[in-house]
Amino acid sequence: MTENNNNSLFSIILASTVHDMKNSLGMMLEALNQVFEDIPDDRSQKISPQYGVVQYESSRVNSSLMQLLALYKIENNQLPFNPGYHNLFDFVEEQTMAHLPLFEAKGFSVKIDVDPEIEVVFDEALMAMVVTNIIGNAIRYAHSELLINVEFNAGTTLVISDDGPGYPAPMLELAGDYIQGINQSSGSTGLGLFFADKVAGLHQHDNNSGRISLSNGGQLGGGVFKITIP
Amino acid sequence: MQDPISIMKKPLVRYSQKSVLIIEDFAEFARSLRGMMTTMGSKRVDIVYNGEDAIQACRERKYDIILSDYNLGDSKDGQQILEELHCFDLLKTNTVFVMVTAENTTAMVMGALEFQPDSYLTKPFNSHILKIRLDKAIFKKDTLAPIARLLRKKKWIEAAQKSNEILHEHPKFKMACLKHKFAALKQAKQYDKALELATSIINERPIPWAMLGVGEIFYLKKELARAVDLFSDMLNEFPMVTEAYDWLAKIQYQLGEPIEAQKTLTKAIERSPKALKRQKLLGKIAEENNDISTMTSAFRQAVKFGNNSAFASPDEFIKLTKSLGMQLKGNSEVDRKKIVDEADTVFARLDNRFKNEVGTKFRSAVAHADFCSITNDDEKVDKYLASANKYYDRIEEHIGCDESLEISESLKALGQQELAESILEEAVEQYFDNPKFIKKAASLTTNKNLIANSKKANQLNNKAVQLFTNKDYGQAIQYFSKAAEIAPNNVNINLNLAQACLKYFQAKEHRLEFLKQAESVLSTITRLAFTDPRYERYSELSRLTQLMLQSA
Repeated sequence: MTENNNNSLFSIILASTVHDMKNSLGMMLEALNQVFEDIPDDRSQKISPQYGVVQYESSRVNSSLMQLLALYKIENNQLPFNPGYHNLFDFVEEQTMAHLPLFEAKGFSVKIDVDPEIEVVFDEALMAMVVTNIIGNAIRYAHSELLINVEFNAGTTLVISDDGPGYPAPMLELAGDYIQGINQSSGSTGLGLFFADKVAGLHQHDNNSGRISLSNGGQLGGGVFKITIP
Repeated sequence: MQDPISIMKKPLVRYSQKSVLIIEDFAEFARSLRGMMTTMGSKRVDIVYNGEDAIQACRERKYDIILSDYNLGDSKDGQQILEELHCFDLLKTNTVFVMVTAENTTAMVMGALEFQPDSYLTKPFNSHILKIRLDKAIFKKDTLAPIARLLRKKKWIEAAQKSNEILHEHPKFKMACLKHKFAALKQAKQYDKALELATSIINERPIPWAMLGVGEIFYLKKELARAVDLFSDMLNEFPMVTEAYDWLAKIQYQLGEPIEAQKTLTKAIERSPKALKRQKLLGKIAEENNDISTMTSAFRQAVKFGNNSAFASPDEFIKLTKSLGMQLKGNSEVDRKKIVDEADTVFARLDNRFKNEVGTKFRSAVAHADFCSITNDDEKVDKYLASANKYYDRIEEHIGCDESLEISESLKALGQQELAESILEEAVEQYFDNPKFIKKAASLTTNKNLIANSKKANQLNNKAVQLFTNKDYGQAIQYFSKAAEIAPNNVNINLNLAQACLKYFQAKEHRLEFLKQAESVLSTITRLAFTDPRYERYSELSRLTQLMLQSA
C-alpha cells in the first residue's frame, strides 16, 4: 500500500513537472515566433535554418518528455489503454502536419499512400506519440523524401520509409532489445524505439500482439520503420 | 510553393462565419490561439480566462467553435465546463468543442465517456494541426447534426433511422452513427435491438463505450447478475474506465451488497477522485456500512469538488456535518475542537452558497441545531431551532423525500415533536408510493392514521393505474379522484389524474369538460420546484393541455 502510494505520488510529481516543462517550452517557442515575426523578411530568410533547429529540437524535447511520462505510467499500470476505431489516413496526415513547418523549411516531400477509407482499432493518443516521434527521427536522417504507406498481413502495418542512409547495422541487430541501443555518442537514447515497442505490445487481438521492426532499403532505399497493430 | 504533403480534397470550412470562444488561463497561449484563428479567417474570437466567465459568455452567445484548455487553475476544468454547457443547453447542435491539454488525454477520455469533446489537442501544436482538426471536427459534426437534432427532440425512432441513412452515405462515420443509434434505441426502450447492436460491435472488438452499453442494457432489462459479470470482465480489460466501477457499484448496492459496492467505488475514486457524484454515492454507502471516516472523507471531497461545479447540492454539506457529528459521538480520542470548527465552516459555506433557497436554510438550521446538541451547546440549539421555525413558515416548495426523513428525525431527537409530525404528514402525503420511505416514516411517526391513510391512497392509485393501462380512462378518473381526496396535495396522483382526463378527452368524442378538468387539476400543483424530478412530467402535461385547449 505504501509503495503504491509512493508510486502514485511520484507519478503526480512527474506529471506536474512534465506539464510545467512543456508549458515552458511552449512559452519559449511562442516568444521565438514573436521575435521571428518582427524580423524583416530579408533578414528572416537568413536565420530561418537556426529557427528551424530550435523548433525541431524543442519538439524532440517535448516528445521525449511525453514518452517518459507515458512509460512511467505504463510500468505502474496507471496508463489507461483506450482503443477505438480511427481513420488511418486522417491519423497519419495529422502526425505529419505536426512537422509541416520543418518539411517546408527543409524542402522535404512527404507522401502518404494510405487508403482513405480504412478504419483501424488502436489507441490514438499513444500511437500519435509513437508515429510523430518516428517521423521526427526520419526527418533527421532523410535526404529529401518520406513515404508512409500501409501493409496488411495479420493486422495493419504502418510503414514509414525515408531516403536517408538507413539504420546502422548494430541497431538492426537489436531485434527487440532496444535498451541495448542506448548510445550516448550517437544521441540514441533508446527511448523512442523502446516506447514504440511497448505501445505496439499493448495492442492485442485474437492472441496476437502488436510489434515493431526496423530494416533498410524499402521503396526509398533508406530506413524503414514498421509498426503492426493486430 | 507546392504543398509538401499531398493532401486530399477537404470540404471547405468558412471560418469567417464562425464565432469562436477561447477558454485559456495563460494569456499568451490565448493570444497565440486567437492569432491562429484570425489567420484562418475568423472575425469573431472571444477570450475568457476561467470557467465561470466561459459559462457566462455561452449564455450570451451560442458559439460555433469552443477551444478550451483542460487545466484552468483553480477554476472549473474543461471537462466540467463541457458538462455544464450540455446540462444548461448552451451549445448549438453543431458547436464544435475542442479540449486543449498538456498531457496524454486518454485518462480524461476514459473518465468521461458521457460528455466527450469533439476533439483533443495536445500542447504544443501549430496552426496546421489546429486547422486540420477543426476542419475534420466541423465536417463530422455537421454531417451527424441531423441525428443529434432528432435526439435532442427525443424523436428516438427517427434518430435511429437517420443514423442508418447517414451511415450509408458516410461509411467513414460508421462508429459515430452506431453510437448514436445505440443511444436512440436505448432511449426508445428497444432493449433487444440495442443489445444486439452493442454486442455485434464488441464481438468484433472490445470497444469501451459498447461494453458499457451492453452492461447498461442488461441492467435496464433487470438481468443484474449478467450486468455484474460484464462490468467485472470489463474492468479486467479496461481498469481505467471509471464508469464501469460506477455501474458495478450501483448494481452491487441494489443487490444488497453495500460492502462490495464500497470496495468498488473506492477503486474508482483512487483512479479519478474529481467526481462529485461518485464521492456522494461513496459517502452514502459508507454511512450504511457504518464506516464513518470514509463517509467523512467522501463528503469532504464532494464539498471540495462541488466548489467549482454547478452541480453542487446542499446534500453533501449536510451529510459532511452529519458525519462529523457521528465522529464526535463515537470517539473520545478525536480532536473535538477541530471537528467543531470544520462543521461551523461547512455550515457557513452551505448557508452562503444556497442563500436564496429557504428550504435549504431550513434544512441547514435543523442540522446545525442537531450538531450543537451533540456538543451540548443549548444556547446554539435554541438559536438554530428558532431560525428553523422562522424559515419553515416561508417554505413554498415541497420538501424532498429523503430530506423530510432527515429533518424530522433530527427534530424528533431535539424534542420538536409537533414540527416533526407536520413535516412527516406532508411527506407521507407526497411520497406514499415509495415503500422504502414509508417504512422509515412509519418508524418515526406517532400518528398511526397517517400510515393507514397513505396505504389506502396507494391502493386507490394503483387500482387507477391498472385501469388506465387497460385504457378504461373513465374508471381510472374515478379512482384517481378518490385517491386525490385522501392526498389532495400529492403531485403524482394529480398528474395521473390530469393525464387520464386528457386521454379520456381524446377517446371520448372530445368532451371539453375533461380537458377543463385536466386544466383545473394541474392548476392546483403550485409548490413543485423546477429541480423536482416530477417537474418535467408536470410541464409536459401542462403543455399538452394548453395545446389541446387551443385547438378544441
